[in-house]
Amino acid sequence: MTISRRVFVKSGGLALFSLGLDPLFLARAAFAVRPSAGPPDRRMLVCLFQRGAVDGLNMVVPHGDPLYYRERPRIAVPEPDVVDLDGHFGLHPRLAALKPLWENKSLAAIHAIGSPDSTRSHFDAQDYMESGTPGAKATPDGWLNRYCQHDREHQDTPFRAVAFGPQLPRILAGSAPSLAIDDLQAFGLRAPQPAARDRLTRAFEELYAGSATGLLSTSSQEAFEAVQMLKQVSPSQYQPAHGADYPRGRFGKAMMQIAQLIKADVGLQLAFADVTGWDTHVNQGSSDGQLAARLADFGQALAAFAQDLGEKLRDVVVLTMSEFGRTVRENGNSGTDHGHATAMLVMGGPVNGGRMLGRWPGLDPADRFEGRDVAVTTDFRDLFAEVLARHLGAKDLAAIFPGFSPDAARFPGAIKV
Amino acid sequence: MKTRTLVCLCGALAAWPLVEASAQAPALTPRDSALHALNRLAYGPRPGEVDRVAADGVMRWVDRQLSPRKIDDGPLAARERRFKILDYDAGELARVYVDAQRERREQKRAAATDSMTEKPEQAGPLEQRGRRLGAEFQELAVIRAVLSERQLYEVMVDFWANHFNVFFAKGADRFLTPSYIEQTIRPRALGKFADLLIATAESPAMLFYLDNWESVAPGATPPQAMRLRARPLFGPRPMFGRPPLFDPGHDPMRADSLRRQALARVPKGINENYARELLELHTLGVDGGYTQQDVINVARIFTGWSVRRPQQGGDFEFHDWAHDYGEKVVMGVMFPAGRGRDEGVRLLKLLANYPATMHHVSRRLCQRFVNDDPPDGCVDDAVTAWKRSDGDIREVLRAIFRSPDFWAPENVRAKIKTPLEFVVSAARAVGGDPDTTPRLAQVVARLGEPLFLHVAPDGYPEREDAWVNSGALLDRMNAAVALAAGRLPGVAVSLDSIVPATPDAERLIAQANAAVLSGTMSENTKQVIRRQISDISDPLQARALAIGLAIGGPEFQRQ
Repeated sequence: MTISRRVFVKSGGLALFSLGLDPLFLARAAFAVRPSAGPPDRRMLVCLFQRGAVDGLNMVVPHGDPLYYRERPRIAVPEPDVVDLDGHFGLHPRLAALKPLWENKSLAAIHAIGSPDSTRSHFDAQDYMESGTPGAKATPDGWLNRYCQHDREHQDTPFRAVAFGPQLPRILAGSAPSLAIDDLQAFGLRAPQPAARDRLTRAFEELYAGSATGLLSTSSQEAFEAVQMLKQVSPSQYQPAHGADYPRGRFGKAMMQIAQLIKADVGLQLAFADVTGWDTHVNQGSSDGQLAARLADFGQALAAFAQDLGEKLRDVVVLTMSEFGRTVRENGNSGTDHGHATAMLVMGGPVNGGRMLGRWPGLDPADRFEGRDVAVTTDFRDLFAEVLARHLGAKDLAAIFPGFSPDAARFPGAIKV
Repeated sequence: MKTRTLVCLCGALAAWPLVEASAQAPALTPRDSALHALNRLAYGPRPGEVDRVAADGVMRWVDRQLSPRKIDDGPLAARERRFKILDYDAGELARVYVDAQRERREQKRAAATDSMTEKPEQAGPLEQRGRRLGAEFQELAVIRAVLSERQLYEVMVDFWANHFNVFFAKGADRFLTPSYIEQTIRPRALGKFADLLIATAESPAMLFYLDNWESVAPGATPPQAMRLRARPLFGPRPMFGRPPLFDPGHDPMRADSLRRQALARVPKGINENYARELLELHTLGVDGGYTQQDVINVARIFTGWSVRRPQQGGDFEFHDWAHDYGEKVVMGVMFPAGRGRDEGVRLLKLLANYPATMHHVSRRLCQRFVNDDPPDGCVDDAVTAWKRSDGDIREVLRAIFRSPDFWAPENVRAKIKTPLEFVVSAARAVGGDPDTTPRLAQVVARLGEPLFLHVAPDGYPEREDAWVNSGALLDRMNAAVALAAGRLPGVAVSLDSIVPATPDAERLIAQANAAVLSGTMSENTKQVIRRQISDISDPLQARALAIGLAIGGPEFQRQ
């Protein structure tokens, strides 16, 4: 079926309207088609990319495995410091802010997840994780964008898919409209008076509508639509709710602005932000140190986001990802080199939380990938596909992950059914 | 022989590079060709420059740009003298860095004894001096791009700074980056690729950035004297303004534990980071046919390539004790046991002229100069020139600029300007004169390209989809409006000589078109500007709006 509900509602509604029936009835009927917690249009996904390959073993620590301590004499997180989750795994102490979310079942973690492709290149591995086609470089678009292309049921608003940052990431590249916003407050044309600003906005809108081609044309259209909508939101007056305290810095700000867009009801469905600083080749530290500082910022931003959203977290799933993990054994510089599988977090109301997901292959050298790295037991596409299918209601998974046959039997069980 | 024919043609018909191609394709006029060359080999034309280059002959101009030393650059040199950063040599910059670190430690210690006051950390005067110098260095890059007569040379410096990317904010790279650009990249930007490759491999900035400085043969132990040094002083701090990791403070207990920590951090094995990026990004390309075992063996070959501590100037230093003297095989080539630093140089020379390298680097050059998706023809032309000239970058570039693909109409205006290209070309179009404050570089940063601050080793992307998005476009429009109104910080514009204010709308549009878009303004743009200025009575305001719209509009985003 390629007829989108949106078209159906529009045309059908129009037809009924001409017969004197209330089109709202139809909209309600359309929502009712899918049995789910909330209307599917209100479900949202936030993807966070830990660029640089986070050390999954120190983020979600297998403290029950003596090999972990044997291989990492200088950088292992000491057992008493680990925030235990299930007796075998535990969070890095600087992620302690997330423990309450684990306890109320809105946080799950998955270990030994990664790509079937064995590349240890950051760029290739990020590319594959964002294109959703490991091993195939020619894929022109990203999987989040393909989801938007194939699932037209969601109302297209300029804010349907938003990436926070100066550049549109690969994961959202493609023909479906999406937006890159570095800072909500500064988004739009600047002029001293509102009238002058509106005039300037109109002028540029006309310029681009008439003369722009290719990417310049589509991007500018998205920009001007978004400017229109943002006028109603007034982002500079935002106050986080429930005493949420976002850490200062880029990532905390991005999370706050995502929360803001969610609450502003501008039609946000997909949000993306990235967070850097995970490429810890040297002196990565254990309970304290470089990685600990990055994790503290990361965990506090996630916890603040959950707190700020409050009830609204019911409709939101936050999915973290990173291009690969790091070597089991610490390197000669008290750091870790590029490895294979890593750990990811899934957080939110629809999450089947309080559980470790995936199959743990163990750290025994015989069970490792190429003898050195945590082996991949979950293809990242199985998790991504599950989230798209069970949380956002995506149907055409094969089109979103070409060359891959999604199979519900392999879903790690991150989302409540 | 094809090349010689072309050389003759170009010599004889200097104003017209496309004699052969013109038979099939709608050929470029001499003005079109001049504009195209100025957009790609330079940071866009300055007022009147398109006509000058067209009249003089575009290929003659291209050839001159390929020999930058013969081009007088006096005014830029005078401007450069106002940049204090150029008076510092690498050792002095290292001292600035060390001083700033010491100041931080002292501040921290003072704060620790005075624990009642929890004031936010503030950079002391020495650290501020270091930051000022860093900001000055970014501005210098923008100034050179705007003012230099040796435009192609500046474009190539930017190209190599991205190809051999380092991250200005990583620990010691805060003081190593300026000399990296000045002494490693700039003197070799149009020389032999092998020389540039070797120079980057030996540069402290790269050795530090990709961690090779502490890659050692497994089991190697440093001489006693070295171990006792406060080695972690050199540790990486990924962001500006982080406190130092190691502080041999007053407290003897603490000092002891810190010494133990320092010992624990003595490198104990190889680090693959540089080896991998050398193969993947600097030379062969990711599909260049190497394996993980090759990466490991390359890392072994470079064990011991290290740097002195900042207190000693931070120069390159080969550590005999850290080198792996075993036998290695890289891509089937044997490196016999017992060789030291020279086997690294041998490997670099081998890599520099490996077919995969020629193709990878040529392709990147064509991506920069011709099209985001470069046609095979021009890559092949570049590779042929590479083989013939033994990797002479100047000859490779010459081949690209003589390739029919370079001049093919479908490749004209086919590229989107990067933020640096946008800001610099805009400043040039309005005859802008940047001052020595870091503010124009900050504009470039705000648009998404903080110079020398791309954290990943692949450098800033060359593809349009990395730069064109809704937010970035709005930022460009804002910068354009501010520049035209004389409100863009860091640059003085004198529009009067370029587009004199006039109440005559048609004249204003014609002059804005000529100055900013070299006559390529679309009918739609003219109409929009006409409508917008129709009710503005102040000619200065009308002029600012017209030029702001022209620079912020879609035509000016292309090159």
